[in-house]
Amino acid sequence: MIGRHPSENVRVVGALVLPFVFVFGTYVIAHGHYGPGGGFAGGVVLAVGVVLARVILDRDVGDRRFPPGLGIAAMGTGMLLFLAVAVLPVVTGAELLDYAALPGDASASRLRYLGILVVEVAVGAVVFGGILTLFDQLSRAGDRP
Amino acid sequence: MSWELEAVLLVLLVLTAIGAVLVRSMVATVAVLAAFSLFVALLFTAMGAPDVAFVEAVLGSAFVGVLVLVALRSTGDRPAGRDRRAAVLGLPLVLVIGGALFYGTTDLPARGDTEAPAHAGASRAYVERALDDTETPNVVTAVLADYRSLDTLGETLVIFTAAVAALVILFRRSTS
Repeated sequence: MIGRHPSENVRVVGALVLPFVFVFGTYVIAHGHYGPGGGFAGGVVLAVGVVLARVILDRDVGDRRFPPGLGIAAMGTGMLLFLAVAVLPVVTGAELLDYAALPGDASASRLRYLGILVVEVAVGAVVFGGILTLFDQLSRAGDRP
Repeated sequence: MSWELEAVLLVLLVLTAIGAVLVRSMVATVAVLAAFSLFVALLFTAMGAPDVAFVEAVLGSAFVGVLVLVALRSTGDRPAGRDRRAAVLGLPLVLVIGGALFYGTTDLPARGDTEAPAHAGASRAYVERALDDTETPNVVTAVLADYRSLDTLGETLVIFTAAVAALVILFRRSTS
């Protein structure tokens, strides 16, 4: 199922679509303030992009572009990022998740705006990593010696 | 949005749901369920919930199908045999639970009703203040990631924990 797809049409079209999937996923995460979407939907789009790469590319090439540990790494990094943003205001004496108390010399509303962006990126990383890990574990379950 | 469009979508939903039960191949079931998810996403869009529709479209109709297809690789495409007892027991159960749910919907406020209890409390304040408080025009994002970000933190922890649990189970199965 994963590895080089036998049909050249599928490989070529997939390779053409791939960069646009990643650009769109990033856009959805970054544009959550203004349109539908956000970290959750964008993370799924990015993960589906890597799944597409896994399905059409040579196994070695796919693993070099997107290492097998990528999902776990993204999952852990995103979770730590979210927890850091959550706890940081407590350190400066405010309440949990009060982005207005984040360090930085901007207006309170601007800090909350940036806090939302960080949270969207963190949620995106967790969803991306979680979904990719599920796919990788399921698709490689039979391969391991 | 016009009620005709929603009626067409609801009919398509029922048809795809019946189709998913009737088709004999598991791969075909996955495809029909993906179509079902897509129609649900369209219905959410028609009802004015593009954020929910987006997640339903990418997750329900794109990724879940892929995941099930990968899982089918290790179980095979054979559908389970039909069990007549399941139909005898299942049909009344579906009718009773479905009827109770339909009965429950008659007591819900109309969609878009500004006097509904859900719109009386905090949600009005969110709509009025989100732009000034957070410079975020999309109120849904402001609520999810700012006002109610504790909920989002909890949900993210749930996703994280579920993924780790699945990882542990699958990893153990594949090495034993």
